[in-house]
Amino acid sequence: MSFYLRRVAFYLVTLWAAISLNFLLPRLLPGDPAAIMLGKLRRASGGRPLSEETIEAITSILGAGKDMSLWDQYVAYWGRLLQGDLGVSSTRYPASVADLIAAALPWTIILVGVATVISFLLGIIVGAWVGWRRGTALDHLVPVTTVFQSIPYFWLALVLVAVFSVQLGWFPIVGGYDVFEFPAGPEPTWAFVGSAIYHAILPATTIVLSSVGGWLLGMRNMMVSTMSEDYVVTAEAKGLTPRRVRTRYASRNAAIPSLAGFGIALGFVVAGSIVMEQVFSYPGIGKLMIQAVQGLDYALMQGVFLVITLTVLAANFFMDLIYGFIDPRVRHNG
Amino acid sequence: MTRTKRSFAVALAAGAAAIALGMTGCTPSAGGGGDDASVLRVWAGSATPINNNFNPFAVDTAVHATFGVIYEPLFFFNQLSADAPVGLIGDSYEYSEDGRTLTVTIKPDLKWSDGDDLTADDVAFTFGYGSNKSEQFVSAEATDATTVVVTYTEPQFTSASLTLGSTYIIPEHIWADIDDFMAETNPEPVGSGPYVLKSFSDAAYTVEANELFRDGAPAVTEVQYLGLDSNQSSQDLLTTGKIDWVGQFIANPDAVTGEGNITTLNLQQDPTTITTCANADLGCEGAQTDPAVRQAIDVAIDRATIADKAFAGLAGESSPSFTLQPRDEQWLSDPELATSPQAANAAEAGAILEAAGYTKDADGFYGTGGTAFEIDLFSPDGWTDYNDAAKLISEQAADAGIRINARTVSDAEYWTPIQSGDFQMALYGLTQSLVADPYSNYHEYFAGTSTAKVGETPLVGQNYARYSNPVVDGAVLAAGATQDVATKQAAYATIQAEIARDLPYIPVVLNASQSFFNTEKFSGWPSEGDLYAAPLPYLAVANAVVLSHLTPAK
Repeated sequence: MSFYLRRVAFYLVTLWAAISLNFLLPRLLPGDPAAIMLGKLRRASGGRPLSEETIEAITSILGAGKDMSLWDQYVAYWGRLLQGDLGVSSTRYPASVADLIAAALPWTIILVGVATVISFLLGIIVGAWVGWRRGTALDHLVPVTTVFQSIPYFWLALVLVAVFSVQLGWFPIVGGYDVFEFPAGPEPTWAFVGSAIYHAILPATTIVLSSVGGWLLGMRNMMVSTMSEDYVVTAEAKGLTPRRVRTRYASRNAAIPSLAGFGIALGFVVAGSIVMEQVFSYPGIGKLMIQAVQGLDYALMQGVFLVITLTVLAANFFMDLIYGFIDPRVRHNG
Repeated sequence: MTRTKRSFAVALAAGAAAIALGMTGCTPSAGGGGDDASVLRVWAGSATPINNNFNPFAVDTAVHATFGVIYEPLFFFNQLSADAPVGLIGDSYEYSEDGRTLTVTIKPDLKWSDGDDLTADDVAFTFGYGSNKSEQFVSAEATDATTVVVTYTEPQFTSASLTLGSTYIIPEHIWADIDDFMAETNPEPVGSGPYVLKSFSDAAYTVEANELFRDGAPAVTEVQYLGLDSNQSSQDLLTTGKIDWVGQFIANPDAVTGEGNITTLNLQQDPTTITTCANADLGCEGAQTDPAVRQAIDVAIDRATIADKAFAGLAGESSPSFTLQPRDEQWLSDPELATSPQAANAAEAGAILEAAGYTKDADGFYGTGGTAFEIDLFSPDGWTDYNDAAKLISEQAADAGIRINARTVSDAEYWTPIQSGDFQMALYGLTQSLVADPYSNYHEYFAGTSTAKVGETPLVGQNYARYSNPVVDGAVLAAGATQDVATKQAAYATIQAEIARDLPYIPVVLNASQSFFNTEKFSGWPSEGDLYAAPLPYLAVANAVVLSHLTPAK
């Protein structure tokens, strides 16, 4: 039991540190968000002198608290956080950060989540098989998939769009759903769900193509080394069917390290796939993060980082518990 | 156990196959969008998620359709021509002799999109509301249903385009109850423009024809604005005929216009300059504070090569007079100042520097006392045309013995130093005056009243070069207080001679501004022969003027 208590305590401390860092990091970045917004406002208003009240309104919202000590800002930050208030975005002023994230999160989780799971399962299943039949022509699958992984992701995405969307017209070019057919946004109908799935195919394919190689290679190699273990040799010597040896004895043990990696990958699902979302104009979290960083939007940046941090921590926590459950050695040394 | 394991794997495989089949199964049915001929689809540059903000005071964050399409100013000033402004809500206007009283007559029998009457009271209310009140504003009164009299403490001749051309008239019966005009998002806008909001989502929004519009509902009944995150996406959508109107940079426009249904116009207006922190008295540091160094750079760079290589041959030739030719023809004092030199002249650059007392060091770079000076030139990372231009400038200057270090910075690191003055040189785009008169350029970028000490952001104006010259200031003041053409010409001649010599902003090119539109689906677009408005979907008011000129082609 004390293993679990220690883990919980460890995660609480990590959480505190992560949230504090989240507060500090944007403030260490160069540039003053209020100056940026004032500058853009000036250009946008074609030189109209900004009224005193406008300048004041903007600096009070975005200024890094010139009259407030860092500590006071930190306390205020925790206060707001505990009330679930993530603040107001400056680049999307006056939209609230919580609303922006809530709108983007489902898209990211579903698309990147499903793509990650597919990529993992595909990598494990095919990897186990390739490892089992090592030395045959199947081994060529390894370099083929790793080539896809080493191609710059954004280039791969652009090529797929150019070929399958622009040239052949099989898939849509942008968006999470058909904005021409659903101009008023998401609606709870099957037609909409169909449209969303259809729009997800190409982005999901690019993610799977570019990440399956890693799983496959790792699983194949673990499979090869597991198969030289004594218990596999014993199982073979006992005359068990090859299929049984492959699935019950070899694959099962070979998959354990990949499982840990999978936990981490799941945690990062929420961070989204920045490039994919940019190329496909996909309404996800990764894009919010880019926009926040580019616009020095403190509140949005913190909100996005916070959500990512929490999910990564939660995913790791769960993997920790599950791992401790699967593998008793972890519990004793923990 | 073996059996269950295997069936699990089989189920997984079956599931994956089912997903794959299910996905492809959707293909034919969901692919039918984008065929509706009556809807015009636009990308005005917004990224997703689109802001649900229709507040005409949020010039930076409100959606594009707010300006001109839903809310209108009194008059439309066509920045491409020297013609008189076109009346929208307004019918005529007149300044008093001293320029302190502005009398505007509006058209009769106007309606807001919610059915209420639009009267002079709304216009008077608008002028006295929120950030529309300028420092010189005294009062705005409706003297009858169609006449508004606005009074000021100072002559207002020069702010006509701002007051009449970009003050968006708002309904008093709605805005009188709104106190915090900056925080308002106005999700159900009531305006007077040709369109009203139909539906909104964070990926796209649609406006439909305003049945109560004074000229009758426009022929294009629906306009959908899309949110896209990359230029590539919009180019792809143009190519496949899914989008009808875009204003963006495409280096190779033939790829889009080749099929014949998309037409493009490239109108160069806004100058890109090497903005220098020019004024040592206000705290600028570096060799560029010496006018001789700026003059040397001016003749050392090869603008033709820069326009060709960095701007894909699409940029125009800029003028050191900061007038837009040929639009501002009558304000150009000296034909010599029509364009900056297009070829490099390293020898002349060297002569200028040597005359100013600089000598070459061992490596052939100019400096004083055997040490070459180095000037930092920055541009925002990812603005590839600017980055390439900066690199070329650095190389060309080096040929003339001037050391300029080009570097790129993040967006955040770009805007802050420019505004605070903590820089030496930056590639920066100025905004061209919107009317056929360079006054706003001079007032905005060159007047001493528009600047501030290094470390502070100018409160009024954008004189980021920190340029301050009493001769220019006097001439700007003189030009602003008169409507007399000869007096203005004299004042502008003075300004042009000073700024072309001092070069606080070294002109590089006039930026390309390309627009692409579908002439097969819609007719009535502006053309080279009839530039009634700039065909840029993000350009306030011009966008609405173009939309009301269009008719669906049959």
